[in-house]
Amino acid sequence: MEALVGWWDDYFWGSVVVAQVFICSLVLMVIFGLIGAAAKLSNSVIAQKLANGYTIVFRGTPEILVILLLYFGSAIALTSIAQIFNPEVKFLDVPPFWAGTIAIALIVGSYATETFRGAFLGVNPGSIEAARALGMSNLQTFIYVRIPEMWRLALPAFGNHMLSLIKDTALISIIGLNETLFVAKQAIGTTGEPFIMYIVVGMIYLAFSTVITLTVMGLERYGQRHMVNVR
Amino acid sequence: MSFDFAIIVDALPKMLMGIGLTFQLLIISAILGLTLAIGLMLMRISGKWYLSWPAQVYIYIFRGTPILVQIFIIYYGFPQLEFIRDSFLWPMFRDPFGCAIFALTLNTGAYVSEILRGGVLGVDRGILEAGSALGLSVRQKFIYLTTPIATRLALPAYGNDIISLLKSTALASTITLADMTGIARTLVAQTFAPYEIFISLAIVYMILTWILQKSLGRVERYLGRYMEK
Repeated sequence: MEALVGWWDDYFWGSVVVAQVFICSLVLMVIFGLIGAAAKLSNSVIAQKLANGYTIVFRGTPEILVILLLYFGSAIALTSIAQIFNPEVKFLDVPPFWAGTIAIALIVGSYATETFRGAFLGVNPGSIEAARALGMSNLQTFIYVRIPEMWRLALPAFGNHMLSLIKDTALISIIGLNETLFVAKQAIGTTGEPFIMYIVVGMIYLAFSTVITLTVMGLERYGQRHMVNVR
Repeated sequence: MSFDFAIIVDALPKMLMGIGLTFQLLIISAILGLTLAIGLMLMRISGKWYLSWPAQVYIYIFRGTPILVQIFIIYYGFPQLEFIRDSFLWPMFRDPFGCAIFALTLNTGAYVSEILRGGVLGVDRGILEAGSALGLSVRQKFIYLTTPIATRLALPAYGNDIISLLKSTALASTITLADMTGIARTLVAQTFAPYEIFISLAIVYMILTWILQKSLGRVERYLGRYMEK
């Protein structure tokens, strides 16, 4: 345990980075998922094809490959663009934070697409008819009827997507983001104590997962507060 | 910046040399993981607290931490421990392949045991009551009624887990193993052509995922052949 002295603050800031990545990618993931679901449910064949392509690509490729491709690919693109204006530029990259955040949001967003699609299809047609009968507009129906009912159906799977997101943040250390796993590598370089350093990382992630699981449980109970026959 | 097909033609055969290792990782850890998962699932449904609690803690830990961290603890952390270096398992932990198999097995075991438990709990109560009425013992009911039905119920989710296991094997490249991803990363470091190499490798993985999905769909249809359509 003495080996850890002096590293706690680094781990703390690493955890802050993990939380930042998680929050940014969560927002993006919901956006990607909703767009994907909307495209799959739309009448346009092109939109459906595009959304299908999106889910096939990101569900079929290893996460690490997507992160590496996005980071190094965008670096090459940026460098060659920059060289047009200034030939002396050697290397220019998208910050690992954003490359990684976008990469994991795209991956988990492809799973969320299916979740949201299923949840929108699960909204009771009777509720929508009732909203129509009350004279609600399409937008009102969407906001007051579809979204609240769809959320309740999507929550359990959505909780799992959030857990995948938090665990995928660990992969971003591979492209050099200074999150907890990266901190552990530095600490090992100095102290030579890999076991304890990686165990600390594991415990940090376990804490994050626990908080997410408890939050989702609370939200599920909140979402079902008007339901009859719930336990 | 251009898309150079010559690089792909050159790199693809090299990357495909790693497909054997990817398959070894996938198949060995899938089989060992399933065995572990069955054990864990039986512990969880046993109804005895001293069996179900350890299983629950195990599942909680392995589902709550990233697999990359698990791989690093096993590969970099374990050799530091005296009792592991002295044990008969040392040759396995000294070898990155053994570590990768060990980590993937432990990880997938935790996920699959929950899938199997879902299948077992999904078996219709009426069928088990019918079994009791026919005078079957608890063990007979489990083998002849619960197991076949639970297998069918758990198969779609199990298929998804096999696919995520395939994707997890790519992480073995982080502990120096030369699987397809490992070879691709070396090639990118040499040629610095990430687009060509990573995209062609992504297509290879997508084809493998597609094949897995199709064959699992076939097994699903076979197991569901008595079901009404």
